[in-house]
Amino acid sequence: MSDTAVETPNVMVMNQLPSSEIVGESPLHHADLASAAATKNEGGVHLRENALQGFLTLRLNPENKDLLASANAVLGLELPTKPLSSVTEGATTARWMSPDEWLISVPGEAAFDLETAFQEKVDGHFSLVNSSGGVTTLVVSGEHVVEMLKKSVPYDFHISEFPAGKVVSTLFAKSSAVIRRLDEQAFELIIRRSFADYIWLWIQDASREYGLVIKND
Amino acid sequence: MTQKNRLMSGGRINRSKPLSFTYNDKQYSGYEGDTLASALLANGVDIIGRSFKYSRPRGIVAAGAEEPNAVMQIGATEATQTPNVRATQQELYPGLVCGATNGWPNVDNDLMGLVGKIGGKAMPPGFYYKTFMYPKSMWETYESYIRKAAGLGRSPNEYDVDIYDKMNQHCDVLVVGAGPAGLSAALVAAKAGARVILADEQNEFGGSLLSSRETLDGKPATEWVNSVVEELSTFENVALMPRSTVNGYHDHNFLTIHERCTDHIADRAPNGQVRQRYHRVRAKWVVLATGAHERPLVYGNNDVPGCMQASAVSTYINRYGVVPGNELVLMTTNDNAYHTALDWHDAGRKVMAIVDTRKNPSGALIEEARNRGINVMVGSGVIEVQGSKRVTSVSVAPLNEDGSRVTGSVIKIGADTVASSGGWSPVVHLSCHTGSRPVWKDEALGFVPGSTVQNQFTAGAINGEYSTEGALGQGVESANDVLKALGLDAVSIALPDTDEPAQSESMALYHVPHTKPTSQAPKQFVDYQNDVTAAGIELACREGFESIEHVKRYTAMGFGTDQGKLGNINGMAIAAKMLNQSIPETGTTIFRPNYTPVTFGAIVGRDCGELFDPMRYTAMHAWHEERGAEYEDVGQWKRPWYFPLKGESMQDALNRECLATRESVGILDASTLGKIDIQGKDAREFLGRVYTNAWAKLAVGKCRYGLMCGEDGMVFDDGVTSCLGENHFLMTTTSGGAAHVLEWLELYHQTEWPEMEVYFTSVTDHWATMTIAGPNSRKLLEELTDYDVSSENFGYMDWKKMTIAGVPARVFRISFTGELSYEINVQANYGLHVWKALFEHEDKYNLTPYGTETMHILRAEKGFIIAGQDTDGSVHPFDLGMPWAVSMKKPFSFIGKRGMQREDCVRPDRKQLVGLKTTDPNIVLPEGAQGVFDPNAPIPMPMVGHVTSSYWSANLNRSVAMGFVKGGSERMGEKVYYPLVDGRTVEAEICSPVFLDPKGERQHV
Repeated sequence: MSDTAVETPNVMVMNQLPSSEIVGESPLHHADLASAAATKNEGGVHLRENALQGFLTLRLNPENKDLLASANAVLGLELPTKPLSSVTEGATTARWMSPDEWLISVPGEAAFDLETAFQEKVDGHFSLVNSSGGVTTLVVSGEHVVEMLKKSVPYDFHISEFPAGKVVSTLFAKSSAVIRRLDEQAFELIIRRSFADYIWLWIQDASREYGLVIKND
Repeated sequence: MTQKNRLMSGGRINRSKPLSFTYNDKQYSGYEGDTLASALLANGVDIIGRSFKYSRPRGIVAAGAEEPNAVMQIGATEATQTPNVRATQQELYPGLVCGATNGWPNVDNDLMGLVGKIGGKAMPPGFYYKTFMYPKSMWETYESYIRKAAGLGRSPNEYDVDIYDKMNQHCDVLVVGAGPAGLSAALVAAKAGARVILADEQNEFGGSLLSSRETLDGKPATEWVNSVVEELSTFENVALMPRSTVNGYHDHNFLTIHERCTDHIADRAPNGQVRQRYHRVRAKWVVLATGAHERPLVYGNNDVPGCMQASAVSTYINRYGVVPGNELVLMTTNDNAYHTALDWHDAGRKVMAIVDTRKNPSGALIEEARNRGINVMVGSGVIEVQGSKRVTSVSVAPLNEDGSRVTGSVIKIGADTVASSGGWSPVVHLSCHTGSRPVWKDEALGFVPGSTVQNQFTAGAINGEYSTEGALGQGVESANDVLKALGLDAVSIALPDTDEPAQSESMALYHVPHTKPTSQAPKQFVDYQNDVTAAGIELACREGFESIEHVKRYTAMGFGTDQGKLGNINGMAIAAKMLNQSIPETGTTIFRPNYTPVTFGAIVGRDCGELFDPMRYTAMHAWHEERGAEYEDVGQWKRPWYFPLKGESMQDALNRECLATRESVGILDASTLGKIDIQGKDAREFLGRVYTNAWAKLAVGKCRYGLMCGEDGMVFDDGVTSCLGENHFLMTTTSGGAAHVLEWLELYHQTEWPEMEVYFTSVTDHWATMTIAGPNSRKLLEELTDYDVSSENFGYMDWKKMTIAGVPARVFRISFTGELSYEINVQANYGLHVWKALFEHEDKYNLTPYGTETMHILRAEKGFIIAGQDTDGSVHPFDLGMPWAVSMKKPFSFIGKRGMQREDCVRPDRKQLVGLKTTDPNIVLPEGAQGVFDPNAPIPMPMVGHVTSSYWSANLNRSVAMGFVKGGSERMGEKVYYPLVDGRTVEAEICSPVFLDPKGERQHV
């Protein structure tokens, strides 16, 4: 067999993706959103799944400036240190999760490269953990998207309190979501795999009075 | 029936939209814009219920939230039944069906009414305590009769067909109440650019202005209301919420609003619409502009239908075009109520007399009344009314200066309606919810909000400022206070001119005296809903109750669904007089949420049905569905419980799954196990501190089982942790314990050992995990990988990375069944792919899917514990017979080490986990059964421990069980007995919990 692991003495990382003939199934695979997208095109809430992205949880102490600088160099962006903020460069987005934690997204196939680069180029106490299989991304938008979110999340979504780029990790109904505002009427929800069906049902329910439109990628 | 009390013109009803409705099975008609109460009054319906205790006929008293009597059961179908709706707050809609909640066999002829006629002595306060508490054993019998007689409405017997939901709201300022004070406050805040929510319980904004004939800037007041509402609606940051009752004011300016979205439209919400919405509001500031309720006076038979609040009478006339009677007597302690007599007179009906309790009232309103030829009787009071189903006449008598005594002869005046006003009670309910005690304000003759720790201002009548002009001004003032606090610039608005005449001083009178002592006078009701009388309060005081809180509880004053909005202040005044105190000395009781009753639907919202609680699924769930799995809830996970074939019973399926696994190979979806990635140079040391056993020497590529204990030394979780790299570990936890374990690790890292370099990251959802177990599991694995999985290369308690069915995997050779077993982990997006690839070899190896139940049986055959089933927070590793999982020699201590060495924890006769072999192999002990050593011991028998796990083992063709037995580890071979609830006593032998393959040969192959 081809041994896909990259060994460092201390931390084991491995390419977890098979070759591209084997198609991954996102947590909402069973919902068949593509078929749902064909049925309706008018409504106050729009939903699109951004499936099979790469997600990694990065932990490090940003007070350690050398460590931060080398992490930034590998990521190709400045990790946000302002609470609840995010930074995007190209296809990479870093979301502030806590004073020493970020949620990084990259294209699905790029996760292993990033893990490898970190093990090779970043020296110090950090952890970078691939969590791509554990989440999926929903982009919700539309005229009534804020109302739908107000039914689901205790956070204040007024544009003055929640500008584009802001990130919160918070309750979503009885589950949770990492929410980032993309623009005035669009939000990214990163939700956990095992709760994805619940959140999908919840969003359909909360959007009923406004009409829900499913968008294809 | 015709609307005999409806005026030809006037009011805010739409006469071109007649609506029919049904009350107590009879059809009536009203108009769009009516409340159920105004429509009933228009139709001349006098009796709308029977009283709680005495079953006396009751009529509509008020026109708003304070109504105690007109509490209706509403609903045209079983599924839409709603109890406890105040008719005064329910808008009329076409086809509304309602009935009185109280009264048997019906409200007009109530058998219980006899009790009410016998007189006060039949049911004094404390009646239930005194009568029904002895003998105690009979209480349940009494209670069912009392409940039937009380009849507080009924809940529906079918599922609610409507949708209710919740919404989170945020604002700079929540203005509660849209009367003159609330409107001016909201306008000022809006103009400053603040985010404003204006909520009002009524269908229209305007508050008191909707019910009066006063003018603002020389025009009807409602024109000003309309212009303000129109202006407010132009602000993007202003949310206007009519039909929205602010019901609760909680800590940190968190408030709840109950919005009735479609209750005014139809019996059920139009398709797709939400019936009621519960708003959870986090407000930076709150302006309470909740107004005041008029306080009726307490006099004899004041509950006979036709006795009303003066302001309510005006509301029915001015707002709804309904005069609720023909001949009015008005009793008042103040000028303001004269409006009611003028409204009645101008509506063309007869005012028989104004009875003013003051000796020398003077002023414009009194003059106006006299100018209309109305008989004004000063220095007098209505001491009682006559009539049973409607007032027929009233008794008026002169009173002394302070209204404490009747001083002359009584005259009778024919009348069908008595309006009374004892002044106003500010609506302090919300301000009380956060614990603030109201304070008495003499000039307002009412309690006003006391000091508060909330970000709260108050404006208008809630402060005892009863004039429109004053309310408008306080609204502006309070909003500017908010703006200042928010750092926004002050705003001034032009306030309209009012035409209110100057008013002379009001008299402080609550309880109108009778010629007879209170105890012998006709009943003088204080709290209509709970039938509390002035005599009852006096009796409570005579019996020694001195605290108003005790008087309240003893008499049940204020305990109804109306929370005593009308009567509480009168009750306190009566108690104060009895106790020879002032009202502020007596004090007031306070109010709790909710201000008015909230439906269960609104409280539940969408957290019902399939959305009641999240159901968590694994990546292979679709396959389980296809195979017809039965599920077990494990935490929030839906885990396959067993996979029945067609026609199989549960036990059949379990037997088949157990045998197939031990004979060939079975497969379990183990994705739900908690998984935590642990990295850092101190990861290994950290594991040594949180687990009871040693981790210093675990090599890369190896796995180890560990027990986790609390500080008390008691086991709370267990699992296998694998060494992925020198500084890299993967911890597994129980399915239900994952979140708690991660929190536990973070807690100890952050608070106890922050110097340790270690990070924890949950990867539970990232990996799909499938366990293949059984003698053929290696062969099955070989079908899908070209990696060398031979015993030599891949030993027990090793893990390897390899490619399975084309997908990179981490495979752990660990076993929870005692069989040769592999736990395959792949990135979850590929879980189903690998699972299906394994099943391509289903027939060849009789690959058998099994669920949690077979997993439980297989592990029990091997004596493996399940944390949470064989542990309950009171057992340590030694109790579990697992001393091998504890290392007392670690250089640094571990959590639980001291706890498990306490004197009580090292007693030899603690309950210890042992195997239990029933003498009759066919008997499966019930889990939870309690053991005894001597089945013939006298009751109460000394109990020696319970059965924790018990199953039928198809592999051993007998039952297997584990349980705790006192000193059990020293009692091997002895008998223990389990007396069961069905009378049988089951004998069992204490044995090792390992029933199968004690040497572990099956997994070492």
